[in-house]
Amino acid sequence: MLVLVLLHAVVAAVVLSATRLRGTVAAALGIAVFAATAVTAALQGIGSDVPATQSWDWVPDLGLQLTTRLDGFAVVMVLLVSVIGAIVLAYSASYFEPGPTRVRFTGLFIAFAGAMTGLVAAADLFTMFVFWELTSVCSFLLIGLNDRSASARNAALRALLVTGAGGLCLLAAVILLQVAVGTTDLAELGSRSPAGAMVTTAAVLALTGAFTKSAQFPFHFWLPGAMAAPTPVSAYLHSATMVKAGIVLMARLAPVFGDLAVWRWLVVVCGGTTMVLGGLRAMRQTDAKLLLAHSTVSQLGFLTILVGLGIPGATYAGVAHLVAHAVFKAGLFLGVGAIDHATGTRDIRRFSGLGREMPQLAVMMGLAAASMAGVIPLLGFATKEKALVALLDADAGAATVVALVAVIGGSVLSTAYSMRLMRGLFATDHRVIDPEHVHHAPGGWLVVPVGLFTVASLLGGLLADAVGGWLQAPARSLDGVEHSSLHLWPGLNLALGISLAIVAVGAVIGWRVPDEVAASPVRVSGEQIFQRLFDGLLTGSKRITVVTQSGSLLAYLAVVMAIVAGVLVAAIVTDPLAGFDELTWSDGWMQLVVAAFAVVFAAAVIAVRERFVAALLIGGVGFACAVLFALYGAPDLALTQILVETLTIVVFLLVLRQMPRGFDAPPAWAPRVVRVVISAGVGITVAAFAVMVSAARTAPSVGETYAELSLPEAGGKNIVNVILVDFRGFDTLGEITVLGTAALGVTNLVRMARRRRRTASDAATAAAVAEAELS
Amino acid sequence: MNALLGLPLALPLLGAALTIVFRSSSVQRAISFVSLLGALGASIGVLVHLAIEDDIVVSRLGGWPAAVSITLVGDRLSALMLVIAGALLVIVLAFAIGQRAADERSPFYHPAYLVLAAGIGQAFLSGDLFNLFVAFELLLMASYVLLTLEGTDAQVRSGTTYVVLNVVESMVLLTAVGLVFAATGTVSMAELPERLAELPDGVQTGLHLLLLVAFGIKAAVFPLFFWLPDAYPTAPSSVTAVFAGLLTKVGIYCMIRVETLLFPGQGSTLLLWIAGLTMLIGVFGAVSHVEMKRILSFHIVSQIGYMVMGIGIGTELALAATVFYLVHHIPVKASLFLVQGLVERETGSTALDDVGGLARRSGPLAVLFLVPALSLAGLPPFSGFLAKFGLARAGFDAGQHVVVVAALLASLFTLVSMTKIWMAMFWGDPYPDVAEGRVGVLRHHPLMSSTTALVIVGTVAVALVAGPLFDYCTGAAAQLIDPGIYRAAVLGS
Repeated sequence: MLVLVLLHAVVAAVVLSATRLRGTVAAALGIAVFAATAVTAALQGIGSDVPATQSWDWVPDLGLQLTTRLDGFAVVMVLLVSVIGAIVLAYSASYFEPGPTRVRFTGLFIAFAGAMTGLVAAADLFTMFVFWELTSVCSFLLIGLNDRSASARNAALRALLVTGAGGLCLLAAVILLQVAVGTTDLAELGSRSPAGAMVTTAAVLALTGAFTKSAQFPFHFWLPGAMAAPTPVSAYLHSATMVKAGIVLMARLAPVFGDLAVWRWLVVVCGGTTMVLGGLRAMRQTDAKLLLAHSTVSQLGFLTILVGLGIPGATYAGVAHLVAHAVFKAGLFLGVGAIDHATGTRDIRRFSGLGREMPQLAVMMGLAAASMAGVIPLLGFATKEKALVALLDADAGAATVVALVAVIGGSVLSTAYSMRLMRGLFATDHRVIDPEHVHHAPGGWLVVPVGLFTVASLLGGLLADAVGGWLQAPARSLDGVEHSSLHLWPGLNLALGISLAIVAVGAVIGWRVPDEVAASPVRVSGEQIFQRLFDGLLTGSKRITVVTQSGSLLAYLAVVMAIVAGVLVAAIVTDPLAGFDELTWSDGWMQLVVAAFAVVFAAAVIAVRERFVAALLIGGVGFACAVLFALYGAPDLALTQILVETLTIVVFLLVLRQMPRGFDAPPAWAPRVVRVVISAGVGITVAAFAVMVSAARTAPSVGETYAELSLPEAGGKNIVNVILVDFRGFDTLGEITVLGTAALGVTNLVRMARRRRRTASDAATAAAVAEAELS
Repeated sequence: MNALLGLPLALPLLGAALTIVFRSSSVQRAISFVSLLGALGASIGVLVHLAIEDDIVVSRLGGWPAAVSITLVGDRLSALMLVIAGALLVIVLAFAIGQRAADERSPFYHPAYLVLAAGIGQAFLSGDLFNLFVAFELLLMASYVLLTLEGTDAQVRSGTTYVVLNVVESMVLLTAVGLVFAATGTVSMAELPERLAELPDGVQTGLHLLLLVAFGIKAAVFPLFFWLPDAYPTAPSSVTAVFAGLLTKVGIYCMIRVETLLFPGQGSTLLLWIAGLTMLIGVFGAVSHVEMKRILSFHIVSQIGYMVMGIGIGTELALAATVFYLVHHIPVKASLFLVQGLVERETGSTALDDVGGLARRSGPLAVLFLVPALSLAGLPPFSGFLAKFGLARAGFDAGQHVVVVAALLASLFTLVSMTKIWMAMFWGDPYPDVAEGRVGVLRHHPLMSSTTALVIVGTVAVALVAGPLFDYCTGAAAQLIDPGIYRAAVLGS
């Protein structure tokens, strides 16, 4: 499968880069890739006992490898992804106008399908994570396909950030499992039955990731927004495939973590809430596509409960319903897209008599909706029936009771919104004034795919026993348990009774609830909460940045200096006054006098108010140092110091001529006291630390070696010279280069200033000439 | 092999001298390319040798015994840094020429650029603390010239902040080096570990922290980073690309040396705090801005936090991941600035509000942005993902959960700010107004676009060959974690 995933990527890249490619050719390329994938998966996967594995060692040192394993469940998922993908791609060829958007859609669509294929075939959690993030990115680009619309852009962002945050949770889970268990291979994980606080944390994090991707409460809100994407995208990503990624993850992990109470309750509570909430929201919608989106949310809640619980019967029912849902939901979305295409609207309040105008579509979508509602003899009936049986049989305590209640409630709503949708779209309603009609009949390629999905839903139901048989192996590959098959006619039992009651009650509700009641506004939405968080991030960041990035050089210097002083205080307090007992305070009165001058000059710098005087005083400190050097018998050093100080003062004075005499008024946050404390603090701590450091010396200095080697080896009597040009001549070369570069910089600035002045004066002259000519 | 070691800094230095003499721009270009390519070739030679032999190459300048002379030391870390830096310097030079931001701006561009290259080489090779200081001076002066090459008011103003803060950094570093010498009587990085270890705790703490403050300013860690986002955005993108890619990394490189060689210890809680704050404060800055160059500048800060995190964790795995992060980060960051240069050339602006719909105008340009942007945000399958994975893995391994959570949050916010750029500049109605599908910059500036693409291909290659590369980084970390290896190689055992 890895090779095929790569093939997706290559074809996608080709399509995206060949801008002149015709849309149909692009679509054909994509369909070919999907067909190849489906055939390979079927050939390799069906009937073989040892799943075909492919692996690439990516970073062995980190234990990272990309591995795919075509076990039963993977085969089913790969087939769903590639077959539905091929059909939707064929549909899209008629849906989009020819042009660059269509080619871009096709390329991104193929890339997305490749990522999804990798995800569902992943043999370990790491591989799954890699493709997981790729699907997020592709979906971002696909939702934003119509990037000129602000709502599409924002929906894309919401989807990316919510699923991206979930992805990070999954990443953390992957690493935690790697550290705690030593493997992320899904089969290995199951066999090692890991436990411990770290493992529980990982399980919750992975579950959170799955919830974001599969739009579970409280992360459900991004999915309806994603309906801003074109219909083929919605049909494929947001019903049949991408949102199933979380379900796949839960299905893979439930056998490992299903026994954890926190896992089970999260699954039941979030899944149940999502199922009911999604159903209620679907009842409020008037846009057919949004209604379907909320129904997807609801159905995902259902699937979460089924596969997340990790109870054998429920897992099997979950796998079966996953297939059923993918088939009927894709058909419904494509059908709504066809209606939108034909009439220009999706508002179910604006249709009357559409059923007579588009009878084929009405029948097809009616059957698909019946499957969604769980009506016999469609596939959706058989799978829901199986789910009820499993939950009734399960003895996992209070959690299953809650799950059962949620499933029954959610299923009533499923039937109700299916009914509402069909009635709104196709029934003749005399209250509708000036209903929308078919402007141009949808082409065959917009209708045939809907038919294919309908036929699949119907045949799947009629042949439920056979289909159920095929799905036994996939479910077994998840939890290793033998499952009893689906049945078209399960016999008279409690589950059937509940099932029939659900359909009856739901149908009545769906028919009777008036639009006005249904369409009342929602008070708090996840969307608003997300927006508030997002805005909070922006304003909070701005507030922090304004503080840290004041732009004031004074502030920056104050912080750096305060840190230097603080760091040294931390060192000094470990052993206060260390070294001071050994300190020779003075070798003679001359030094004391000079040092006193230096101190007075330095202190005076703080006191004076004019730049000019301050510069002179700083120079004074330098000269005092020079005298000290001379007193210690280093005349060459003293001479150098005097030269440097003299030059510095001259330059200072030249520059200061251009500037105001006094210092700028200090900002309010830095009164004189603060600045004095910081500067004096740096000076005193550095001096104290220097004393401490000098006293700590244990080993002899390299200077002694220099003295020994200087004359005999280097042939120089002046050690300083030998150090500068021989022992450490490389440093000298470096410093010369520094000086040279500085000279270059200054020359350059001067030249540039002159050049600019020249251009400025040229411009002024030109203006003057022009003015003169005018007058 | 030992003779090759001097070339990465000697050749650019020689080139710098020659480009001062020869003013013709074609001659200058030839000299620059020859010397930089020569330096790169020598670095590759050293790298290949080290990848096979797993030892450390030492060159004693002047042939004096190790304790007396300045030594150049090439271990796996420095060789890798030299190669990445060398390659980037060559490619960005080509970009700058394509951008007309090289010798067209000033005849002093080439000398300054080559001095910068020499300084970077010296910083990565020096085995001597004072010589390292000299390397920093070279870097600072050359970068200042490059930053103010046009001498505009904005450049001089932000250049002032840059130069003052960096001079302060030099002062702190010089003080630290002087105090180290006062305490130990040597500045040889091979001899220092033993002698520093004998010092009283307080002295060790003081010297250690002073060095960290100095290198921390260079690396732009919290709370010493503020000079960076103020200064970088004023230079042309080709200059910023090199600064962003390399200068702060020199600081990180030195922090690695301080933490592994001079003051070895398994990790540091202080650094982990700094790392977390640097990542988050940096990314908040990026999120709050609305100009591409500023956003990217803040991301430099944020990303530095990740590398500090690796140093702070301090295990062998963490160090390997940090080295890998460096390798990943240098081309990614540089390429984003190059893309920014392309955007600016195409639209005349990099303010998010002034530009829109670029993806419609040029798909390839959108790809050029998207790949490094996603890599920066740490999304698979790009190199940034692997780098972050390595660090997070090392963090969880060492039980440092809090900083990993901060890292993951920071990468989410990085994604936020990258999508901010994408949504504002690449999506939406094309603006400034140009007919759909027509884009000039990639076709009319083949040198700029091909060099940008080359760097991005490099980042993708980092992800593709991550297996062997990470293996090499693990070897580098193994050399780092045991200072005895360094000591034995330099002093002879």
